[in-house]
Amino acid sequence: MKRKLSVLVISLLTAFVMNAGAIAADETQYMAALEQARQTLIDAEAKVQLWSTSEILLADAEEAAAAGDFDLAVALATEARLQGELAVATAEREKKTWQNSVPK
Amino acid sequence: MKRILIACFLFMVMTNVYATPEQDRLALREFFAQRFPDLDLNEMINGLYAFDEGAREQWLEMEDFPPYEIAIEEGEAAFNTPFANGKGYADCFENGGIGIKQNYPRFDADSGEIITLEWAINQCRTDNGEEPLPWLTGELAAISAYMAYTSRGNKMSVVIPDDPRALEAYESGKEYYFTRRGQLEFACENCHMQSAGNLLRADRLSGMLGQATHWPVYRSKWGEIGTLNKRFIECNLQVRAKPYEPQSQVYRELEYFLSYMSNGMEMNGPASRR
Repeated sequence: MKRKLSVLVISLLTAFVMNAGAIAADETQYMAALEQARQTLIDAEAKVQLWSTSEILLADAEEAAAAGDFDLAVALATEARLQGELAVATAEREKKTWQNSVPK
Repeated sequence: MKRILIACFLFMVMTNVYATPEQDRLALREFFAQRFPDLDLNEMINGLYAFDEGAREQWLEMEDFPPYEIAIEEGEAAFNTPFANGKGYADCFENGGIGIKQNYPRFDADSGEIITLEWAINQCRTDNGEEPLPWLTGELAAISAYMAYTSRGNKMSVVIPDDPRALEAYESGKEYYFTRRGQLEFACENCHMQSAGNLLRADRLSGMLGQATHWPVYRSKWGEIGTLNKRFIECNLQVRAKPYEPQSQVYRELEYFLSYMSNGMEMNGPASRR
């Protein structure tokens, strides 16, 4: 019985911890996501690589935050950051490989 | 140490780091000669119409009453209208601005800048106390169209002088052309070399050779005449890459490289395209 109770408590705790991520995002989380995204996009632009879609996502994130929808704002800022990271990855790979396409 | 240096040199040669612009241009012509053995490469100044007989016939019919004709007339009128100080565009260019488009872009040793024709037109305006014109369409494109028209039949003659800054600009333009970018990860090369002559949805892709000879262009989809920078921006957006500002350093260097690749080909601007 004691063992079953322990399993139940652990299960409940695990469920609580896993659901913590589903708790509504707040402004602090949004600001952190926004800053990360901005830095990544600056890095991508410096490497002559920025997707046309990324800054739009950031603008949409700011709009969502202004409307108080921080869940959406964080999601959009995160998407922008991921796009920036992919752009940087492309830039770093291309820096090493672009010469391969030049006719010789 | 000696072995390392030799290895580095061989690596650079093998990876084309030491290819001169002229070697690049000849290699490019060879690439297209092998890709299209039955094609007269000089026909590539006509873009997709070099590859597509049906589209070429329609285009030739359109050339009977070319949609860029009005732009040439407007450009000529603007070109000959004096500035407020009494001077004009003719005072800013060699040969009075007539028949000189084949020499652009050019490297300016004083400023270290790449000077495109559109850049020079606006430079002429600001030097004479006039406001610069918008870069992509309108009066600037019309003046450029008129100057291109007076240069028809001349051979593209872009010069890369023996100046490391000029060579660096050329190399930067080359790197841009061959670098994949944007959400779709396309380089200019993917469309205009690898896939030149192929269909992309309903559009046949033009080849890189001759791409710089016929600007500015009246594109049916634009419904107006526009400069090469307008097309650069459009290309960037099509692969979902953030475009640069018109006449930014990146685009001027790209135009420098692209134009050099068309050296020796006939100037045929302005032109019309779908």
